Amino acid sequence: MDTIVIGLGNPVLADDRVGLEIAHCLEERLRGRSDVGVTQIFCGGMNLMEAMAGHERAIIVDAMTGGGGSPGTVYALGPGALLHSRNTCSSHDASLSVALELGALAGLRLPRDVRIWAVEADDVSTFSENLTPHVRHAVPLVVEDVVRHLESTE
Amino acid sequence: MKRVTINPITRLEGHGKIEIFLDEEGNVANAYFQVPELRGFEQFCVGRRAEEMPVITNRICGVCPEAHHMAAVKALDRLFAVEPPAAAKKIRELLYMAFFVTDHTTHFYALGGPDFIVGPDAPPAERNILGVIRKVGLDVGKRVIECRARNHRVIQMLGGRQIHPVAGLPGGWSKSVSEEERREIEEIARQNIEFALFSLGVFEAIVLQNPEYVEMVRSDVYHDATYSMGTVDGHNRLNLFDGEIRVVDPDGGELVKYDPSDYTAHIAERVEPWTYLKFPYLKQVGWKGFRGGKDSGVYSATPLSRLNVCDGLATPRAQEQFEKFQEAFGSAKAGGRYRPVHHRLATHWARLIELLYAAEHMLELATDPEITSPHVRNLPVTCVGRGVGSVEAPRGTLTHDYSAGPDGILTKVNLIVGTTNNHAAIAMSIRKAAEKLIRAGRVVEEGLLNRIEMAFRLYDPCLSCATHALPGEMPLVVNINNHSGEQIRSFRREG
Repeated sequence: MDTIVIGLGNPVLADDRVGLEIAHCLEERLRGRSDVGVTQIFCGGMNLMEAMAGHERAIIVDAMTGGGGSPGTVYALGPGALLHSRNTCSSHDASLSVALELGALAGLRLPRDVRIWAVEADDVSTFSENLTPHVRHAVPLVVEDVVRHLESTE
Repeated sequence: MKRVTINPITRLEGHGKIEIFLDEEGNVANAYFQVPELRGFEQFCVGRRAEEMPVITNRICGVCPEAHHMAAVKALDRLFAVEPPAAAKKIRELLYMAFFVTDHTTHFYALGGPDFIVGPDAPPAERNILGVIRKVGLDVGKRVIECRARNHRVIQMLGGRQIHPVAGLPGGWSKSVSEEERREIEEIARQNIEFALFSLGVFEAIVLQNPEYVEMVRSDVYHDATYSMGTVDGHNRLNLFDGEIRVVDPDGGELVKYDPSDYTAHIAERVEPWTYLKFPYLKQVGWKGFRGGKDSGVYSATPLSRLNVCDGLATPRAQEQFEKFQEAFGSAKAGGRYRPVHHRLATHWARLIELLYAAEHMLELATDPEITSPHVRNLPVTCVGRGVGSVEAPRGTLTHDYSAGPDGILTKVNLIVGTTNNHAAIAMSIRKAAEKLIRAGRVVEEGLLNRIEMAFRLYDPCLSCATHALPGEMPLVVNINNHSGEQIRSFRREG
């Protein structure tokens, strides 16, 4: 199935970059799979919708705060949970749900299958290019999880 | 004293809150605009190689990375004392015009425009781009998406990456433009002009033809007369990319015009105990509090301010629209130029005129014979210790100031982002709108709160840049408390 994997986050804001790091690892792991693309974006809303357009399936990896778990906790969520990770909305243009509806109305081909992997962050307020330890440990877990998911649904 | 809280501000990047204090009669006693701030970005940059800055600073914010990229490369040109070849400057500006078209389009249709197109009193769930489509037609949604897509393609072609360009280097640009790319960009620029004219037509039909909206735009609620700031070219025409910073007083007289690198001689920052925000003001005039007028150093740097400081626009159709804009407000000419317009809601119109200018200038650059020159870089050979770069970001003048040792390692970084310039003016506009709209005995309803929000939404403030905070979900919480602090009403809506 034609799939886009999208890493979301801010690369210079500590744990907020976790989605980008996971996407980077997945890019390496999935090299050679012509049906899976990997991209990284720093802003949600319309940019996110546009990154998803044209694909049958989208997998989003993002940081999360307020999910209830301890830092490093991984959540595998369905599309209904999209609004709850950190970066899926852009308050500068539209929430993701509005952006998706706009895209659909405008005739864009949007994925019917959208899943999100989110990692509970510890620190999203320090300028740093490093993840905190618990969040760092979650990276390979998410990478394996996503790869397994892709293999099981090939 | 009653307290009305709008928290956080809907549909704005980052998060903030407005606190409105009412006196015992129920009138506005005071209004504050507060945002939390992440500190330390400048310090995060110190110790890095200066040439990393165009890529690092464009990650501060997901909204206008192109503006940071350009201010950074221009600062590096000066830091390394290297003049880019003419073609490189034009390629930078060509990309920047594509960015301006995208950003202004997105603001008008998704953020600021819904207040007019859907209506200021419409339910919040409808005041978004979907509401615009319902009002104007599905075609407009398609046009917005197509506009974004084609200009993102230009940014990717020229900048090496979509949205976050990486091609800027001290002394020039990392790749030249092929004739095939140039032809494609030329066609995109033509489509942008058509789209800008269409958008001005939408504004005309929906706002200017509606007496109620015209009255709202011209009302005292949204009127603040401050100094205006913007970049102009050698003929005092609007320039979004390069030139001198011009400041005019509320009557239109030129206070000062300076090279961007001299900003510290003209701008100082005021600190207030109730907020992390700093409030830049004009040194020459001085800080006299949150008020307008000729003797107060508060200034604005917005699309409206840019039209206020310039003598005209350099492209023909945008100039026509500029004159139409001035005539609509009855702005008399003084000293060869129009007097400033201080009706803040006119900023939305000014933004569309800039959209047209950016599209027209994009076409000029795309058809410039020099744009495909292979000579796009001069190599830097020295580091002179300090470099300042400046562009007009969509939200106001953006300044990057870098200091570095002879080895090019950064020792000091200072950024003044577009929104920061407007902090004092935003606070004033909120207070003015609140004072005029909330009166004794009047129930504070959702639509009324939105009309207060409109007073700052017109600035298109990007708080994530200004505060270095990042956006998450944006619920709006409004609490109204009576004079003893007891909460009497509470609103919540998703952002």
